[in-house]
Amino acid sequence: MRPEKLLRQINFCKTIQKESTNPFDLNVKKFIETLNQYLKTWKSRDELLLDADAISELTKIIELQAKWIQDRSSSFYIDPVLIELKLKLLEPEQLADAFFQSWHPVIALDRLTPKRLKQGLDYWNALLPFNERDDDFPAALTAEESAFEIQDLIDMSILSRAEFDNALKAILKELEALGRTEYHDFIYSTEFEESIRRAYLTSYLVSEAKAGLDIDPLEDTVFIYPSGARAGEVRSIAIGISHEDWLGWKRSQKREQNGK
Amino acid sequence: MEEESKARAERKVKRAAQLLFFRQHRIPGVKGWELKKTVGDDYIDVIEVLNSSLEKLGMEVKRLTEGKERSDRYIIVLKDNLTEKASGARIDEIAMLSATLAYIITKQGKVSRKSVEEFLCAKFPKHRVLFALDRYIKQGYLGEEDKVLFIGWRTRAEVDRKTLLDLILSA
Repeated sequence: MRPEKLLRQINFCKTIQKESTNPFDLNVKKFIETLNQYLKTWKSRDELLLDADAISELTKIIELQAKWIQDRSSSFYIDPVLIELKLKLLEPEQLADAFFQSWHPVIALDRLTPKRLKQGLDYWNALLPFNERDDDFPAALTAEESAFEIQDLIDMSILSRAEFDNALKAILKELEALGRTEYHDFIYSTEFEESIRRAYLTSYLVSEAKAGLDIDPLEDTVFIYPSGARAGEVRSIAIGISHEDWLGWKRSQKREQNGK
Repeated sequence: MEEESKARAERKVKRAAQLLFFRQHRIPGVKGWELKKTVGDDYIDVIEVLNSSLEKLGMEVKRLTEGKERSDRYIIVLKDNLTEKASGARIDEIAMLSATLAYIITKQGKVSRKSVEEFLCAKFPKHRVLFALDRYIKQGYLGEEDKVLFIGWRTRAEVDRKTLLDLILSA
């Protein structure tokens, strides 16, 4: 049995979601009847996946139908056709006036503190000149643009606080056992993904002052040590990690092992 | 003892005011969990005290619901309507924004970018419309995903949507 009819209905569901058209344009009963008709003959995995896709799209439409009713019964609801007509008739000045009368602007200021200036200067000092950086070097991210805070991951249920704390404890224990060690040797592992994970956790150890860094810009070396060992100057730094750099580290590790 | 507790409460209100007035992130305001972390578990009470002070200046702390209480964003907005010009934007740009918001609100808060463009192009040149829409997205008044426009965080914070629709209908 060819699934054209069902595919057309799935596409129609997607159009409703995308174009915000009336979700009641879809006849749910007929859709389910069509699905039922196909399901009797379908056996292959692809066919069953299509069936699951159709059910998923149908549930989204039913959800939209509920929202549609809720919206129409709320005080917000005004016939879109009427509003469209009014918008077409009004002069720009009248529209602007309506906006200003319903506008309560946000009040916020930017500030530049001495601490933030110092962080900027440290970042500048740690950054290689543009022509010395790899072409693939990603654009510097500021703290505001960085992807996820740990709290975001916890809120999104990707990670639990206990899980994160245990991972931190484990890596700190490892560092304490090693003592002062080269930063990249510490974070790099046989898998690149694991290296990124270790670098991420290590950044928390450093931020929470459980570990410290010794940076020698002339020798281009970075050493990490458990913070119990010694205390130094507190400042913000950026250490780049790239896949290429990790591959280089792997090659050097292999050479060292072969040398032995 | 009482003075100590009063001083502590004042410190909390000051800290909350600093957090809310000064931008910490790209989007102004702070999340509930940030306030809880900095001000304490009683941050909602602290916000209420701050609100009573701000009210005298015609401002208020607005809570933008994001689902969970600790994820809600708190933001300071002007409570009263502006009597003087408070934006450098041109009148036609504000008109386009006003029309776009009204159009999107009546379409359940989500509509394809193409249909908004077509709607605005009836009154403004296409290059101006495209430029304006990009600017509203950048400013946070609109959001865009997969060529679908929706109401942005800034509209939710700043615009009384019901009043806007009522004013348009009664104009």
